[in-house]
Amino acid sequence: MARIVRAQSRRDVLKTGAVAGLGTLLGPVAGQAAPKSLTMMHESSFIPPYDAYFKNDLARAYEKATGIKVNYEVVSVGSLLTRVTTAAENSTGPDLTAIGFNWAYLFDDKFVDVTDIAAEIGKESGGWYETAQEAVVVNGKWKAIPFGNIGQLMNWRTDWFKQAGYEKFPETWDELLEAGIKLKKAGHPFGFELGHGFGDNHGWLYPLLWSYGAREVEADGKTIAIDSDETARAVDYCRRLYKETMLEDCLGWTDVNNNKAFLSEQISCTNNAESILWAAKKDFPDMAKVIDQSENPKGPKGRFHMLNPLCHSIFTHTEDKKAAKDFLRWLMAPKQCGAWLDIAVSYYQPFLHAYDDAPFWKVEPRNLPYRDALKTSHLPGWPAPLSRAQSESVAKYVVVDMFAKACSGKSTKEVIADAKAQLTQIYKAA
Amino acid sequence: MTVDRSSRLLKLWVPLGVSLFFALFPFYWMAVTSLKSNQELYSRKVMPLIVHQPTLKHYVDLITETNFLEWTWNTFLVAITSTAISLLFGAMLAYPLARIRFAGAALVSFAIAATYLVPQPLLFVPLADIINKLGLGDTLTSVILTYPTLLVPFCAWLLMGYFRTVPAELEDAARIDGAGRLQTLIKIVLPLCGPGFISAGIFAFTLAQNEFLYALIFLTKTEVRTVPVGAVAELVRGDVFYWGQLMAAALLGSIPVAIIYSFFVEHYVAGLTAGSVKG
Amino acid sequence: MTAPSLAPALVHRRPAFSFGRWLERGGVFSWLMVLPPIAFLAALVGYPFFYGIWLSLQNRPVAKAGVFVGLDNYIAAWHDPVFWQVVVNTFLYTAIATLLKMVGGLGLALVMNQDFRFKNLTRALLLLPFIVPTVLSTIAWQWILDPAFSVINWTLVASGLASSPGPSWLGNPYLAMASLIVVNTWRGLPFYAITLLAGLQTISPELYEAATIDGASTWQRFRYVTLPLLMPVIFIVTMFSVIFTFADFQLIYVLTHGGPANATHVFATYAFDIAMGGGQLGQGAAIALTMVPPLALIILAMAIYMRAPKT
Repeated sequence: MARIVRAQSRRDVLKTGAVAGLGTLLGPVAGQAAPKSLTMMHESSFIPPYDAYFKNDLARAYEKATGIKVNYEVVSVGSLLTRVTTAAENSTGPDLTAIGFNWAYLFDDKFVDVTDIAAEIGKESGGWYETAQEAVVVNGKWKAIPFGNIGQLMNWRTDWFKQAGYEKFPETWDELLEAGIKLKKAGHPFGFELGHGFGDNHGWLYPLLWSYGAREVEADGKTIAIDSDETARAVDYCRRLYKETMLEDCLGWTDVNNNKAFLSEQISCTNNAESILWAAKKDFPDMAKVIDQSENPKGPKGRFHMLNPLCHSIFTHTEDKKAAKDFLRWLMAPKQCGAWLDIAVSYYQPFLHAYDDAPFWKVEPRNLPYRDALKTSHLPGWPAPLSRAQSESVAKYVVVDMFAKACSGKSTKEVIADAKAQLTQIYKAA
Repeated sequence: MTVDRSSRLLKLWVPLGVSLFFALFPFYWMAVTSLKSNQELYSRKVMPLIVHQPTLKHYVDLITETNFLEWTWNTFLVAITSTAISLLFGAMLAYPLARIRFAGAALVSFAIAATYLVPQPLLFVPLADIINKLGLGDTLTSVILTYPTLLVPFCAWLLMGYFRTVPAELEDAARIDGAGRLQTLIKIVLPLCGPGFISAGIFAFTLAQNEFLYALIFLTKTEVRTVPVGAVAELVRGDVFYWGQLMAAALLGSIPVAIIYSFFVEHYVAGLTAGSVKG
Repeated sequence: MTAPSLAPALVHRRPAFSFGRWLERGGVFSWLMVLPPIAFLAALVGYPFFYGIWLSLQNRPVAKAGVFVGLDNYIAAWHDPVFWQVVVNTFLYTAIATLLKMVGGLGLALVMNQDFRFKNLTRALLLLPFIVPTVLSTIAWQWILDPAFSVINWTLVASGLASSPGPSWLGNPYLAMASLIVVNTWRGLPFYAITLLAGLQTISPELYEAATIDGASTWQRFRYVTLPLLMPVIFIVTMFSVIFTFADFQLIYVLTHGGPANATHVFATYAFDIAMGGGQLGQGAAIALTMVPPLALIILAMAIYMRAPKT
C-alpha cells in the first residue's frame, strides 16, 4: 500500500502543480473560498416529480436563502452503489449522497459524523424510529440521516381474492398458500421474485426466513445459524408456494418482472414497493381500484418486513463540512422534508414519528400498511449487527439462491448446506 | 435457367432472408413497443405484434423531457474522436508488426495482447482514480481518453491482418523506387487496406457509442452523459421501466448510425473492386 | 536517399550519420511508430492492471485500507462452489456463442459476397444488432423473452407443443443460458459477417478466375483459395470474439444478473457483484484476475502467430 501511496503522491504533486499553474492562468478555482455549490447525488426516483421537486423547488429555495447552488445528480438505482464506491475510493465527487442498506457502515470512514444534527432533527420531528437507527448508527455515531423507507409489502388483486373467498389478505403464510392454490386454479397465479434482482426478492425472502424463527447469523454476529429446523421449514414452505401457486418464470425474475406481470394481469399477488399501485393509478385506473397492499403474512415466529432505508450522508472529502451539514439540516426540517415527502406521496415512509399522521397518508390510505410495517422491518443479516459480511451475503444472493435452488428442485438439506458453507466463508473472513 | 434461379434462391435469398429476419425482428419489436401506449403494451388480450393505437408520445417525451438530444450529440462526438485516435494508434502499431522484423517485436505484440487480459470490471476503479487526479471527471475527455484502451488493440490486430494481405512486392517496388517507409505506408499500403480501416472504424465507433461502464463512472452530470448511461439513469427508475421511451431511444440511437454506415461501406468497397488490386 | 558523395566530405567534414537514414532503419522506425500507442496503453491499462493485481492480494474492503493477505482471495475462490459454477458458465457461454458466431458469420459473409440489389442497405441493416446500444437492446430482449409476450411461446402453445404459458426462457436455468447465448450471437454475428466480408473482398478475383480455369468447383475454390487467404482475418476476429465474450458483462447483468440461482453468472458479473455489491475490492479483483490465465493462453497463441511477419 505504501508503494502505491508514494507513487500516487508523486503523481499528485505533478498534477497539482500543473493544475495550480493552469488555475492561476484561468482564474480562481472553485472551492478555495466558501463553497459556491454543493452536489447531492441521488438515486433516480421512480416518481419523477420527486426528483423535479428537488431540482426546481428545494435547490432554488436554498440558493435564495444562502447563495449556495445545489446540484442534483441522478443515478439509476442499480448504479448508485457503484458511484458511491468510486466517489469514496477516490475521495472526490459529490458532497452529499443518498445511500441505502448498510452503506453507512461500509463507507463509515468516508462519511461525516452527523450525530449532532440527527439529534436536533429527531427532537424537532417527534423522534426517530428505532429500526431506522439499525442502518445508520456505526460505533455509536450517526453516519447518515435516515430519510424514508422503501417498504416491500404484499400487493394483491382484491377482486380475484374475493372470488376465491378472501375478503381480507391472508394472515399467515399457510393461509396465503391456500389462497394461492385456489387462485392459480382460477387462472390467477402468484408471482414472487426469486431471481437476482435488488429488492423484490429480498423483500419477501428475508421476512419469510425470519418469520419462521430462522436467521443467517446469530445476534453475536459470528455464529452461523442458518442450519436449523426453522430454516428447513421456511425452505419447504417456499418450495410449496412456488410449485403450487407461482409461474415458472419467477425463478429468473429481476425487479421489473413482477411489475410487468401484475400490470398485464398475469398474477394476482406479489411482493413489491408502492410502484405497482402508483403505475396502475397512472395508466390503468380501473385496475387500480382493485389493488390493495398489505403487510407480509405471519409465520410461526412473527411478522417481519425488509428494512430498505433511503438515507443521506456527507462525504468527508467535501470541502466545507459545515456547509454540507447545514444543508442537510435544512433539508430535514419539517418545511422542506415534509414537502418533499409529500410529493412522493408516501413512497418513502418517513422514519420520524412526527409524520406518522401526516396528511399524505390520507391521500392514499392503501399505503398505510407501509407505515405500519416500519416497526417490524429489519436489514438483511438481522439479527446480527451491521457488518461487511452482511453486504457480501446479499451481493452473493446467499439467502435468495438458497430458496431459489430449493424451488427449482434441489433438496432442502443440500441448499441449506450450500448456504451454510457460503456464510461460513463470508463471516470467517470478516 | 431454372437451376440458376433456384440455386440463387438457395444460395442467396433464403439465407439472406433468414438472417435479416433474425437480425431485425427485435427491432420490429422495439419499434412496435415505442409506438404503443402503456395500456396497449401491457395488455395481453391484443395481438402483441401489431400496434392498434399508435402514439408518438414516447418519442416526444424522450426528446422533450430528457436530455436525449444532448446525449446523442455527446455520444457521436466521443465515438468519432475515440475512433480516430484508435485507428491512428492501431495503424502505428500494426504496420511495424506486420511488415518489419525488429528487435522487441514479440514484446510489443505481447504487450498489446496483454491489454485485453485486463477485464473492464477490474480496470474501472483504478482508472477512475487516474481520471479524477487528472481533473477530467465529468468531461467528455475522460471517455475519449479511456475508450481507446478498449479499441486500440483490436484495431491494431485487425489492421495487421489487412496490412499483410498487401503483396510485399508492391512495397518492395516502392522502396526500390526510392520511397521511404512512411511514404510507402501512406501511399501504397493504406489505400489498399481501405476495407480494413472501414471494418476497424465501424468496430471502434460502435463499441465507443455502446460503452456503458466507463461512461457510468466518469460521466455523472446529465449534460455530459452518453445515450446508454443517460437512458438508463433517467428511464429506468427503480423497478419501473419507461419501456416506450427506452425503445424509442434505442431506435433513434441506432438507425441514423446504420444509415451512415451504409454510405461508408458502399464507397470503399466500390473503390476497391474498381480495380486497384488488379495489376 | 543517396549516399553522401565523397567530395563534399573532404571539403566539409560532413557527419557520417544521416538522421533521415537512421529513421529508415527497421528497428528505429518501428519503435518510433509504436512508442506513442504503447505509452498510452501502459499508462491507462498497465498501471491499473498492476494496481488490480496488488488489490487482489489484499483484504481490501471498500473505503478502508487494505491488509496484505497474499493468495487468500484466490484460495477462497478455489473453495467457493459458486466460483466453479461461474467458470463452467463462462466457458460454456463463450465456446458456444463464438462457435455460432464464427460459423454463422462466415456463412453470412459468403452469402453477402454475391452481387445483388440493395446490397449496401442489407449490409447496414444487418449491422443494426451490433450498432444499437447493448444495454437498450438487452432491455428489449427482456420483453421478447417474457413467456407472456413471446411470439415463440404463443406459437408453441397454440400448436399444442407446450402447455401455457410455454417455456420460461429466463427462469429455467438451462434455457436462461441458452437465451443469453442466442442474444449474444444475435448481437455479435453481424459484425463477424461484415468483417469477414471485407476480408473476402480483398481477395483478388484473379485468383478465383485462375482456379476456375484450372477446373476447381465452388467448394474447392472455397477450400483452397478463400479459406487460406481469409484465415488471418478469421483467426483474429475469432480470438477477439472469444476475449470479448469471455469478459462479457452488460448483456448478462441486464437480462438475468447471473440468475436464476447463479446459472448464468460469469466472471465479470460475479467479480462486479463482489467488488461493488459486497464491497470487497480485493476479492472482486481476484475473481476478475482468474480470467487471466485462460485468456493468456489464447493470447499467447495469437502473439506467436503474429510475431513473424509473413510474406
